[in-house]
Amino acid sequence: MIVGAFAVAHTPQLLIRPETEDRDLVLRVHAAMRRVRRRLEEMRPDAIAVVAGDHVEAFFLDGVPALAVYVGSECAGTFGPYRYRLRIHEPLARAVVEQGIERGFDLLYTQDAPLDYAFYVPLHFVMPEPAVPIVPLHVNVYLPPQPTPARCHAWGAALGDILRARPERVALLASGGMSHFPGTDRYAAPDFDYDRSLLELLREGRGCEMARLTGEELDKRGNIELRTWITLLGAVGDARAEVYGYEPSWHHGNAVVEWPVGR
Amino acid sequence: MSDDAHYRFPPSEAYRLNECLYAIKSDRAFAERFLADARAATESMGLTEDERADLLGMSRDALVARGAHPYLVFMAGLRLKMLANPSEMEYF
Repeated sequence: MIVGAFAVAHTPQLLIRPETEDRDLVLRVHAAMRRVRRRLEEMRPDAIAVVAGDHVEAFFLDGVPALAVYVGSECAGTFGPYRYRLRIHEPLARAVVEQGIERGFDLLYTQDAPLDYAFYVPLHFVMPEPAVPIVPLHVNVYLPPQPTPARCHAWGAALGDILRARPERVALLASGGMSHFPGTDRYAAPDFDYDRSLLELLREGRGCEMARLTGEELDKRGNIELRTWITLLGAVGDARAEVYGYEPSWHHGNAVVEWPVGR
Repeated sequence: MSDDAHYRFPPSEAYRLNECLYAIKSDRAFAERFLADARAATESMGLTEDERADLLGMSRDALVARGAHPYLVFMAGLRLKMLANPSEMEYF
C-alpha cells in the first residue's frame, strides 16, 4: 500500500554549502525537509521508493537506460566526503522490476551500480529513525533522448498499481527539481514563475496535466528533473499537493511538497 | 529534442572528452591527479590537443561547443573546487 508521497529538492549545495549559497535559505529548505522526516516517522513505512534521476554517475554514455530499478540487498555511493550505504527492500524491488516488465515496461535492473547523490541528498535529511530500506528507481533526465513525460506518468501509474497491491507500507519520494540549468549559460536565470505556476496546478490536484508537457518544454524551463515528479504523480493521481516550501536561490527553485495520499 | 536544447544528445566524437569529465566528477583519485598535474593526468585519455587545452582551462563554453555534456562540465568543476578548498564548504 502507498502511505505517503513527497517531492524534495536535491541540489548538492543543500548538503555541502559553498560561500555562494545563502545560508538562511539552505536552513529553511532543511526545515521543510525535517517536516517530511517527521511525517515519515508518523507513517511508519516499511520502505521508501525513491524516484530520482541519475546525474551521469551510475550510468555513463556506455549504457543509458530510460528507467532502471536497483535490485539487491543494499546500494552505496559517494559524494565528496560522504560515503553512504543504504539497505534496499529487496522483495519489493524485485516485485517492482518483475511486475513492471510484465506490464510492458522494459526496465533495466542493476545489482551493483553506484547510487547517485540525487537519491542520497533527500534521504540524508528525511530518512526516519530507525532507518527503513529503500527501492531506488532511476528515471533518465540528463542524457537525451529522455523518456517522455507521458511515458514517465504511465510508468508511475503502473508503479502505483504494483505498490498498492503489496502488503508493505510504502512511501514515495520524488527527488529533484525545480527550475535550474546546471552547466549552461542560464545557470543564474531559472524560471521561477514557471515553477510557481506548476505548484499552483499541483495544489489544485491537477498534477496529471503534467503528463501532457513535452520534453522540449521541460528543457526550456530548466525542469528536466520533473520527470521524477511526473512519475510519482502517475502513482498518486489527483491528490492535492501541500507545498511545505518553495525557496528560489540564485540558481535553483528548491521545493518540498507532500501529496497526502494515506490520510 | 531540438539542437537548441540546453541538454543535447551527446555526440559520439566527444565520448573521450565526456569520459574524462566523468572521471574528474566521479573518480576521486583521478580528480586528485588532475588537480596535481592536469597535463600528466590527461596524457593517456585519448583526447586531441585542442580538447586537452580546453579541459585544462575548464573553459565551459569551449567544452560544451565540443560536445561535452554541460552537467559534466559543471559538476567536474565543482568537484575540483571542493577538492581544492574543502575547508571553504559547510557540511551538513
